Amino acid sequence: MQGFSDGGADLAQLQSTMRTIEVACTSIQMHINPTAAEATILSLAQSPQPYKACQFILENSQVANARFQAVAAIRDAAIREWSFLSNEDRRSLISFCLCFIMQHASSPEGYVQAKVSSVAAQLMKRGWLEFTAAEKEAFFYQVKQAILGAHGVDVQFIGVNFLESLISEFSPSTSSAMGLPREFHEQCRTSLELNYLKTFYFWARDAALSVTNKIIESDAVIPEVKVCTAALRLMLQILNWEFRHDTNSTKASINVFSAVVRHDNASSKRSECVLVQPGPAWCDVLISSGHVGWLLGLYAALRQKFSCKGYWLDCPIAVSARKLIVQFCSLTGSIFASDNGKMQENHMLQLLSGILQWIDPPDVVSKAIEEGKCESEMLDGCRALLSIATVTTHFVFDQLLKAIRPFGTLTLLSTLMCEVVKVLMTNNTDEETWSWEARDILLDTWTILLVPMDGSGGNALLPPEGKHAAANIFAMIVESELKVASASVANDDGDSDYLQASISAMDERLSSYALIARAAIDITIPLLTRHFSERFVRLDQGRGIIDPTETLEELYSLLLITGHVLADEGDGETPLVPTAIQTDFVDIVEAEKHPVVVLSASIIRFAEQSMDPEVRATVFSPRLMEAVIWFLARWSHTYLMPLEESKCHLSHGYDHQHQSIHSRKALLSFFGEHNQGQIVLNIIVRISTMTLMSYPGEKDLQGLTCHHLLHTLVRRKNICHKLVSLDSWRDLANAFINEKVLFLLSSANQRSLAQTLVLSASGLRNSEASNQYVRGLMVHMTTYLVELSNKKNLKSVAQQPDIIMSVSCFLERLRGAASAAEPRTQRAVYEMGISVMNPVLLLLEVYKHESAVIYLLLKFIVDWVDGQISYLEAQETASVIDFCMRLLQLYSSHNIGKISISLSSTLLSEAKTEKYKDLRALLQLLSSLCSKDLVDFSSDSIEVEGTNISQVVYFGLHIVTPLISLELLKYPKLCHDYFSLLSHILEVYPETFAQLNSDAFAHIVGTLDFGLHHQDLEVVNMCLGALKALASYHYRKMCAGKTGLGSHAAGHGNFPEGIFSRFLRSLLQLLLFEDYSPDLVSAAADALLPLILCEQGVYQRLGNELIERQANPMLKSRLANALHSLTSSNHLSSTLDRVNYQRFRKNLNSLLIEVRGFLRTM
Amino acid sequence: MSDEEHHFESSDAGASKTYPQQAGTIRKNGYIVIKNRPCKVVEVSTSKTGKHGHAKCHFVGIDIFTAKKLEDIVPSSHNCDVPHVNRTDYQLIDISEDGFLSLLTESGDTKDDLRLPTDENLVKQIKDGFAEGKDLVVSVMSAMGEEQICALKDIGPK
Repeated sequence: MQGFSDGGADLAQLQSTMRTIEVACTSIQMHINPTAAEATILSLAQSPQPYKACQFILENSQVANARFQAVAAIRDAAIREWSFLSNEDRRSLISFCLCFIMQHASSPEGYVQAKVSSVAAQLMKRGWLEFTAAEKEAFFYQVKQAILGAHGVDVQFIGVNFLESLISEFSPSTSSAMGLPREFHEQCRTSLELNYLKTFYFWARDAALSVTNKIIESDAVIPEVKVCTAALRLMLQILNWEFRHDTNSTKASINVFSAVVRHDNASSKRSECVLVQPGPAWCDVLISSGHVGWLLGLYAALRQKFSCKGYWLDCPIAVSARKLIVQFCSLTGSIFASDNGKMQENHMLQLLSGILQWIDPPDVVSKAIEEGKCESEMLDGCRALLSIATVTTHFVFDQLLKAIRPFGTLTLLSTLMCEVVKVLMTNNTDEETWSWEARDILLDTWTILLVPMDGSGGNALLPPEGKHAAANIFAMIVESELKVASASVANDDGDSDYLQASISAMDERLSSYALIARAAIDITIPLLTRHFSERFVRLDQGRGIIDPTETLEELYSLLLITGHVLADEGDGETPLVPTAIQTDFVDIVEAEKHPVVVLSASIIRFAEQSMDPEVRATVFSPRLMEAVIWFLARWSHTYLMPLEESKCHLSHGYDHQHQSIHSRKALLSFFGEHNQGQIVLNIIVRISTMTLMSYPGEKDLQGLTCHHLLHTLVRRKNICHKLVSLDSWRDLANAFINEKVLFLLSSANQRSLAQTLVLSASGLRNSEASNQYVRGLMVHMTTYLVELSNKKNLKSVAQQPDIIMSVSCFLERLRGAASAAEPRTQRAVYEMGISVMNPVLLLLEVYKHESAVIYLLLKFIVDWVDGQISYLEAQETASVIDFCMRLLQLYSSHNIGKISISLSSTLLSEAKTEKYKDLRALLQLLSSLCSKDLVDFSSDSIEVEGTNISQVVYFGLHIVTPLISLELLKYPKLCHDYFSLLSHILEVYPETFAQLNSDAFAHIVGTLDFGLHHQDLEVVNMCLGALKALASYHYRKMCAGKTGLGSHAAGHGNFPEGIFSRFLRSLLQLLLFEDYSPDLVSAAADALLPLILCEQGVYQRLGNELIERQANPMLKSRLANALHSLTSSNHLSSTLDRVNYQRFRKNLNSLLIEVRGFLRTM
Repeated sequence: MSDEEHHFESSDAGASKTYPQQAGTIRKNGYIVIKNRPCKVVEVSTSKTGKHGHAKCHFVGIDIFTAKKLEDIVPSSHNCDVPHVNRTDYQLIDISEDGFLSLLTESGDTKDDLRLPTDENLVKQIKDGFAEGKDLVVSVMSAMGEEQICALKDIGPK
């Protein structure tokens, strides 16, 4: 099918082309031989200059699909051939499309119209930077006439639609690919924003204005509604534009720090609300022209019509109008004059008074919705509140409503949300109802208002009325959460959710609750205390009589909520006591009566009851215990022996705050080192030990204890200090060494516990004591492994399940200890590893078929080497490296050429996965060894012992790579690790690479070639980096008169052409003919330049071949010129410096733009 | 001779076929007995019996001999049986026509009682390797009174 070209097409030929395409389109629809039909259509798009045929089809075909395909073909062909179409041709294609949509404005096939309009937009964008202003003006004149209604309603609609396609084409997130660099899209976007966007808005507004009266006056749906809807949509789209070029940005930055408009970064981070910041130039059209008033008026008029036929709450025009109104609520930035926010306040007040009827009075609105009214208006009202909250402070937000109502906006927000929560409580289902959505939006609104907005952590101090509103809604929230909790017990479906899962699902919600609670902290803390004590009493009195499950579940919820209210998540840092809690309590003199102390103490006392076996059996279910442990971890991170305790004096000395300073001090020191801290710590350690010992098989609970609670404790030095002196901690360490029950912990918990205990050694007074402590902890494990490996019948004994279990358990512990190595305990951990080196190799032998154990062995060694390598002295390094190499060789000898045999495909694929994990560990081991060259704390150089890291790593790679098949490289993580190691060592030690034998070399080159064609961008990037490193190394050596990669570069045996010419060929092939992300071009250029320099002769030959293959003389000369300028323009020289790389990148980019269009279709 | 045989028998009887182990400690890639069959665990998940109940483990295992998938649910603090899975490497000497393998033990004796697997693909893999004249080591897996080849390894000169 080459025959659609229409050089000198006559009518008959055009008609036959049209028929062919029509037949193809129909057969696709009827599903008759679709592949052939698709090929026919594709060949139309790919034939050179198919424009006449396509235009003929568009104008004459009766088959809508054929018209659709024809315009798609115009688009494809024109984008491809753009660079060699004449300016005249380009413009005529665009005006053809524009005229076509105008002429067929009333056509019923909307999708063809939309496609033509979008093709016009794409072509216009493609030529945007080349067309003169006058040429663009000519196109837009036509569009403007249409939009202003000169040719009737249908054309008006089409005009608005065209602008919609144009804007989405210019907005980077929705633009279509054109095979051009990103800068092109950026330039187009800037140009449109600066020169046209506002004009378009004017046109859209005028189009809407021109039909408004007709719509308002008529009771029926008239065609003008369609125009108005489209215009509203276009305005919304323009306001959604991501404005970048705020022409008056200095002014904006003044506003940023003023009291009224809050810091944009802080607020936009918290919410998905888009801020609309078009800049001062837009003030006239959006603000001062009464535009908002018109819009609110239009919607109010529409509201009256909802009873009429053809109008309803969700009819397109109403939806569009509401969306635009909500969008106006997000308007902010320098568009408002810097008049202390007066102008913005007026703007928002105007909007708020328009929106008020959607949501006020809340009880009436919610009742109407429950009785069947559509909820979308109410939800939009909530969204508007969220938008307003995003662009104001809580103070301004609250004041807004006071201008028209006796109460503030916060009170309205609180009442509205109370209504929503009430509805949520009454019909408690799992379905996402409107009340669900409204609750989330309103909760976001609270969050955005209350979140500390500056770095100082200064909390939002609400006015009394607002505080009251916050307290009300918090009480309501707690009530509803408790109700949900107790109800959830009844509809238990067996698989209950886990603590971690439920926390992370609820986390955002819980932290919003916490913000609300902290806004009225002196009311909400006592409320929580009351809720707790009621339930404690209920449990106490009902023990053995009433089923406690509901109460347990309520306590579970309360613990989660209270944990969030009292303390923040540390995220790796030490969280401070929340500011509200520090400052908002006044008049508290006795620490015991501080509400936070009262609440904390009551929970800790409750938790302590779990030590009693009888109470534990009836009350402390694993689930409740999980919440208790979670709470203790979060709480102790903030309150237990806080660091600020010692430096309690506040810097700002306001007199009226004096009392709050007093209460703050009382709170902070109460659980401090010199007060109750040690007692509470002791309780917490005893509870932790108990959960590990007395809840057999409860992995989640024990996981929380190990990873969360104990880990939190040893993170702080002052706590470690106390810990190692506690009897309870000594008991835990003893249990770890001796108690059989603790051997049963799951592997991750085992590891974590060992790590925690080793870390606590930092609390001892000196390094000697710390090392002694670690030895004491681990000596049992190492002795066991040494003794086991010395057994004569090791081979048979080792296979027994109980031995496998002990070995696994101890290896996990060793690994945990290895990963806890700190400078202070490094010696002990080093000795621990050294003492089991031989056993490890013996175990590697006897467990060679027991993949689970092998993996543990490897991971232990990986973590141990990783923790130790940088501290080791030369001789130690040599012996560790020797050990690693023996390990690698042993592993390799067991696995090379091994084939698993099983009937089960699952087991076979499991075996493959296990292999993949092993190899990944081995690669990590090599990477750790590599790091010795980068980070080295030892006193002497490793060269002293004659160790050369690069040779070691290459030797290791030599052992490992034969095990890494291309099949295994399909595992993304392994692939990633392998190539990052490879590119690293090729960059750092290319000279050693040259010394590899030809098999190993060929294998590595093979994998590089594989990686070059990988889908993962990063893998390709790393391969390109590796190529660049190799080729530039070789080139530099050659320039210096040395051999570089020597025989590998020259080619021999399997690769007669040498690696550089091979990669030159495949890289050119990739760049010119294949699909790849434009982001790769720079990296590819960096690899291509040294390759070309290494193999200039080959490059000449490849270039000539390409040119010879080109039949069309015009294209031939274009290609020849383009290839010539790749290596000659921009003063490219033959050096490998930064400037030259940069020039070459530019050259490559222009080459690709110039020739890829026609090369790829050949 | 009879003495030696006796000794062999007693040591075999002494080695228990299964060991009890707490369900919570059995992990993926370990072994477990489900419905009296030795299985490799390919999936473990835990859940609770009711909201405030105790944890239970849900095992999915694959019979190491028949490849059948088996499942079991056990409270995680209870014990499960774990099979004693032994693997021994033998050098392959010959494949007899009636489907038996002739294997060389470490001590230099021969073992002639192991049948070829029934699955044709597996048989083909073994036979092909053997026919190519490679030096093959076979790993034989035995558990609960059954045995089967589980891996092949070419130890011929590279």
